[in-house]
Amino acid sequence: MIRPFSAWCFAALLCAPSSAAAQQRSLAAATSNDVAAGQRIFDAQCAWCHGAAGTGGTGPDLHRTTLRHAANDRELTTIVRNGIPGTEMPGFTSALTETMAWQTAAYVRSLGRARARPLPGNPEHGAAVYDANGCGGCHILRGRGNALGPELTTIGALRGAPYLRDALVKPEAAHPPGYLVVKATTTAGNVVRGIRLNEDVFYVHVRDARGTVHTLQKSELSALDRELEATLMPSYARLSAGDLDDLVAYLASLRGAK
Amino acid sequence: MIARLKPSRSMHRIATFAALALSSTLFAQDGQWLTYSGSFSSHRFSPLAQLTPSNVGRLKPVWVYQPAGVGSVEATPIVADGVMYTTSGPTNVAALDLKSGKPLWEWNRPIAATVLNLGFPRVNRGVAILDGTVYVGTLDGYLVALDAKSGAERWSTQVGDNPTGHAITAAPLAVDGKIIVGISGGEAGIRGFLDAYDAKTGKQVWRFWTVPSPGEPGSESWPGDSWVHGGGATWLTGSYDSELKLLYWGTGNPGPDWNGDSRKGDNLYTSSLVAIDITTGKARWHFQFTPHDVHDWDANQIPVLVDADVRGTPRKLVVMANRNGFYYALDRSTGEYLLGVPYAKQTWAQGLDGKGRPILIPNMEPSEKGTLVYPSLQGSTNWGSPSYSPVTQMLYVPVREMGSIYYKTAVEYKPGTYYTGGSEKRLDEESWGAVRALDVRTGKQMWDFKLPSPTWAGVMSTAGGLVFGGSPEGNFFALDARTGKPLWQFQTGGAIRSGPMSFLADGKQHVVVAGGHALFVFALADER
Repeated sequence: MIRPFSAWCFAALLCAPSSAAAQQRSLAAATSNDVAAGQRIFDAQCAWCHGAAGTGGTGPDLHRTTLRHAANDRELTTIVRNGIPGTEMPGFTSALTETMAWQTAAYVRSLGRARARPLPGNPEHGAAVYDANGCGGCHILRGRGNALGPELTTIGALRGAPYLRDALVKPEAAHPPGYLVVKATTTAGNVVRGIRLNEDVFYVHVRDARGTVHTLQKSELSALDRELEATLMPSYARLSAGDLDDLVAYLASLRGAK
Repeated sequence: MIARLKPSRSMHRIATFAALALSSTLFAQDGQWLTYSGSFSSHRFSPLAQLTPSNVGRLKPVWVYQPAGVGSVEATPIVADGVMYTTSGPTNVAALDLKSGKPLWEWNRPIAATVLNLGFPRVNRGVAILDGTVYVGTLDGYLVALDAKSGAERWSTQVGDNPTGHAITAAPLAVDGKIIVGISGGEAGIRGFLDAYDAKTGKQVWRFWTVPSPGEPGSESWPGDSWVHGGGATWLTGSYDSELKLLYWGTGNPGPDWNGDSRKGDNLYTSSLVAIDITTGKARWHFQFTPHDVHDWDANQIPVLVDADVRGTPRKLVVMANRNGFYYALDRSTGEYLLGVPYAKQTWAQGLDGKGRPILIPNMEPSEKGTLVYPSLQGSTNWGSPSYSPVTQMLYVPVREMGSIYYKTAVEYKPGTYYTGGSEKRLDEESWGAVRALDVRTGKQMWDFKLPSPTWAGVMSTAGGLVFGGSPEGNFFALDARTGKPLWQFQTGGAIRSGPMSFLADGKQHVVVAGGHALFVFALADER
């Protein structure tokens, strides 16, 4: 039982130097060709969440000199390969070779060096817009508010500004994972519509717009519709352009303690 | 596509079939469960009939076994001579007392964190048993024989080299004094094979390479040296026809998975079913479901051996609900393609031609910008076992209805790393699952029991008229085998990623399934 492991360790030692080298090579050594290759990979694999040119979407804006989870080049390359456990950032070990991950990381680093366009808007006034529009009625922010929608305490670190703007103006196109709207119709004809908290084969739990949680047995439903395009979040397209900019700037500034 | 590698030796001999059917039924009627899929025919059908649609509502858990370690338990236990033998990841084996659920022995192989599992979790899906010896494949690529009474190791032999991505998660199959074992590693650029070992000594009897070397039949389907890392893993347990003396084993995707540029051609015998002579280890025929696969549609699903009429003619069939979305029936003596129909949503083929080869829809390959295709790379079904009931003549299939955006990337071979050349973005929210009943003779859908998400759980049918299945949300449930109507359920509290089985103890029928990190055993409440 011991023999196989010693054989494996020997082979691992043979393999290790090259992988370690690829992971630890400074991103500053990347040529313009490497960065261009990284951009192509980024456009195909990463822009889905981080937005075209890394300006942010469901994933954060990467135009930052310091990234929250990547203190150095090695950590950044590792994140591109392995993802960030406990977050929405998946790993790409099967999709990207070490060289490709390193090139992608080099492109991400180049975004950090590029001057990020400052967001229009005044975050301080955005906080007032947040309060005036009663956002805390559905969102918890630094422990205050209600939990119908996502918590916003660190939303600026999780989502990019374009996504935050979409979520305010056309929220049905930007509802986050875990907030699927379902409409359940009981055999007695009652309708419960709200966020699907969980669903198994026989039960579904729905939180309605008033925050009440309904435990529904599917055998007692005549219909259970998944409204893939729906959201309980109202549109704030009615805000003035200035207020909207301010609110987006405020939300984008909510990055938590780290 | 069919290639007859050797002329078939057998003709239909109905009397022999009847005798075989009877013996296999008796085999199972004593209440044991002696192979991964319940029988060499892989019906995952229990001939026990105590549980019926009218009493299954009284099914209750009688004991739960929680093995060492972490991760999902994905094994189908074996029950032999009054003892249950089951496994958990990465490579732990336990012998359990049927009445109390307490371990008689446990054997835990030390598996270092550095042991590779590229493309699959650190799991084990079960053992084989023969003449008082239990056989298990290990994550680090060994086949180990354990004394069934004590768990003491009798022998151990290396099957594959783990530092290059070889591993074993599948239950071996004990046939004809041999232990047949498949290999995982299709995402690591291995060259796949199926091995037979002498059950007593552990000496290799034969090896069948699923990717031929230059000069061998099929090698013309691999340009240059692309065959060297051609994939074709054999990572799930196959079936056996003792009259034809043929093993039926599914093979996995070619390597690299999603970038086929370096391997233009059909890439035989990947994403195929291969019929292998048990004595010689040579292929008698093969059928390739997905030539030049670029979607990771392994054909490792369980091949199910069925005797049934097709278009009015009695046939010895091997049927498979394939990961690529089509249901196939082949003549298992010759490999002749008899029928193939879609059983789930698929957007990559217009249909199958007269020989079963897919008629491709253009531009459905993975691309740099992404290509939306149904099914997802996990397929319309995956390793969760189907079940065939000779009573209803239906094949019950765990179904995954999901699409993916497939990406293609550059790829280079480096030992012990992924050799895939792409990725997917799954369309999770709109996806769903089902237990789907197909008429085995036609592939026609007879009923559909919908699940809220694509399932990884296998199904089992019983002579009592039930189908047991599970869900990722932890439900273990019983359906009416004729109608699909739900009759009973139990929430196990963890995703079900295993196939149910059934056994007899103290004269009572028990049903078993693994959910989360535990094994659950059920029986009728008032009859135990």
